[in-house]
Amino acid sequence: MAGSALRRLMAEYKQLTINPPEGIIAGPVNEENFFEWEALITGPEGTCFEGGVFPAKLTFPSDYPLSPPKMQFTCDMFHPNKPNDESGANVDAAKMWREDREEFNKKANKLVRRTLGLD
Amino acid sequence: MRSLGLPLISFGLTGAVVANAYYQKKQFYPSVVYITKSNSSMAVIYIQALILVILIGKLVKKIFFGQLRAAEFEHLMERSWYAVTETCLAFTVFKDDFSPKFVALFTLLLFLKAFHWLTEDRVDFMERSPMISYIFHIRIIVLLTMLGLLDLYFIVGAYQTTVTKGASVMIVFGFEYAILLTVCVNILIKYLLHTIDLNREVFWESKAVFFLYMELVMSFVKVIMYVVFVLIMMRVYTLPLFAFRPMYYAARSFRKALKDVINSRSAIHHLNNSFPDATSEELTEADNVCIICREEMQSASKKLPCNHIFHTSCLRSWFQRHQTCPTCRTSILEPVAPPRDTPPPPPQAPQQPPLPPFAFPFNPLHMPFQPPHPPQQPAQGSAAGQGAQQTPGASTSGTAPGASSGRPGAQPQQPPPPPPGFPGFPMFPGMPMPGMGPSPFLPSMMPFMAYSIPPPVPPPDFTGLTEEQLRAMESNAREGVESRLRCLQNIQLLLDAATLMLQQYSVAAASANVANTMSAAQSPPPSGEATGSTQYQQGPDLTTEPQPPFGTPPPTTSTPTSSSTESQPSPSSQDVPTPESNTQPSTSGTSMGSSSSSSLTNGVPVSETDEQREIRLRRLQKFATNSTTNE
Repeated sequence: MAGSALRRLMAEYKQLTINPPEGIIAGPVNEENFFEWEALITGPEGTCFEGGVFPAKLTFPSDYPLSPPKMQFTCDMFHPNKPNDESGANVDAAKMWREDREEFNKKANKLVRRTLGLD
Repeated sequence: MRSLGLPLISFGLTGAVVANAYYQKKQFYPSVVYITKSNSSMAVIYIQALILVILIGKLVKKIFFGQLRAAEFEHLMERSWYAVTETCLAFTVFKDDFSPKFVALFTLLLFLKAFHWLTEDRVDFMERSPMISYIFHIRIIVLLTMLGLLDLYFIVGAYQTTVTKGASVMIVFGFEYAILLTVCVNILIKYLLHTIDLNREVFWESKAVFFLYMELVMSFVKVIMYVVFVLIMMRVYTLPLFAFRPMYYAARSFRKALKDVINSRSAIHHLNNSFPDATSEELTEADNVCIICREEMQSASKKLPCNHIFHTSCLRSWFQRHQTCPTCRTSILEPVAPPRDTPPPPPQAPQQPPLPPFAFPFNPLHMPFQPPHPPQQPAQGSAAGQGAQQTPGASTSGTAPGASSGRPGAQPQQPPPPPPGFPGFPMFPGMPMPGMGPSPFLPSMMPFMAYSIPPPVPPPDFTGLTEEQLRAMESNAREGVESRLRCLQNIQLLLDAATLMLQQYSVAAASANVANTMSAAQSPPPSGEATGSTQYQQGPDLTTEPQPPFGTPPPTTSTPTSSSTESQPSPSSQDVPTPESNTQPSTSGTSMGSSSSSSLTNGVPVSETDEQREIRLRRLQKFATNSTTNE
């Protein structure tokens, strides 16, 4: 019997493959190591990220369900909840979202275009 | 390329040095003497030796580990740097003993240490790897025996040297190898546990317990060894600074192991004593999947006070880390106490709460955006007020409720005057029950409507409730008590939200007062602004918000007024019997609406409403999750 973290990750992978949620594709980078995943997340419809496809990398701890995984976007991202170099959240993005929504949307749109290889 | 280049250069240099010596002396012995006498030649020879060691290390690594994983390599590099710096520190203590032999011994020690680390990482990886081949087992077993034997050999050697020749640097070596031996034993135990686990068909529950105690014992042994070593070193030489970092880590891991064992024991104790086993009915009722391990629950599962069910073994490991429910994050230590301490939640509490969890949360959120609707909002408010008032039995006099509901609607124009309203103001945040009777509170509530804080109207009847909810209300069984408690928690949440809104209100009111006076002087036509704000305030997000329970509050609050729910624009015309009383509330309503909307537009800056909207959205989400988890 394999470790509980491994079994859980395998179960989740199976679930994601059989029954994929809308707009998200995720799975281990290679099937020999179930603790490194990559994911593709599409921007939800009706938001300024609509149409974008954002790749991310997930790293699961060995005691996985007990401690949370780490996730990092492997593309540029401008989102209030996405940590940047200075802090755990992107304060600039949050501020812009609140004070200058137009600029925020423009920036998000640019990102969307970039992920699609348009810019 | 670089990895190949350096050894080649080194071999070339060595060859050149040897050839040069032989060329000059023509004989073996004189050339050896020549090389050892020449510093530059010796330097080349030392570098050559180092490179040979590294090459042998790579070969052994290739044989026993194959390709290193990125994490393993990183780990190795990090630890190597620490080991090298500590070795340099050790050199300072033993500068009298400094010799090539000494350096060689330290290099060998580092070499063996590296293999211990690698083996440890590899064995740890067993648990995470889906495939374990036979070669893996053979490699690990051979490696462990070799490392163990080498450790033992060096310990014995160091001991004998110390006994025969007195204290020397060999104490350090003996001690280091003793530590490595404990690491070796530790890895062996881990390996055995993992292997046993791998060969079992079913989940091995007690493996984690074995691990815990193994960690505890091994780290304790390590700590003892470090302390003894430091004491001996202090007696013989001086303070061994280089041993402090590993000693600190050993002490820390011992503390952690101890804490883990204690937490685990208390978690088990908690599990066994406080929480009931889940029955098979409960299991089938829920979706039967433990969210910790995502596997089906057949047996050995426990039900937490919040009604969530998990595997006992999963819960045990979870509780070692977090003392909360994995699903809803309710503290398992707190809610266990209340059911015993406060068994009688007041009988009237369960009467309205079954509705509030669904109706109330959305009321305060829903209402604030109605003021911009000048004619409708007060009408609806008064309709709700009437509904609440009629139930107490005021239906006999038709005009009275209409008039009374009309007056409170007019009051917000001058907030301070109403004597019954003001006492209600401070009571609102700390109000113990929203259901303290609707009629006495109504006048005091009305002013808040204008400032986007609606009164929590208690459900006047139970038409909005399903059969199950009603039955759950009257039951004295555990579920009944639990649902009551949940209702109370919801009420508390609502009260928190209310206090938050009140704070916002006071901030807004403070700024509104200032801005109002200014804008009154500047902008006489507030109507255009008001419509602008209406559009902004209502916002598409509120109407398009896909919150399923969102639509429920209006029907539930106005159920007594029966048909008023469908025809929102003019509910008062149907409810209020006489036409005179009908006009009165509506006119007062318009005035109130305009006053409130103008105060909103003038007083509250746009960023303020933006902030409010965000907070509201957050809260909506919170409520949504709350209600779903409670179901």
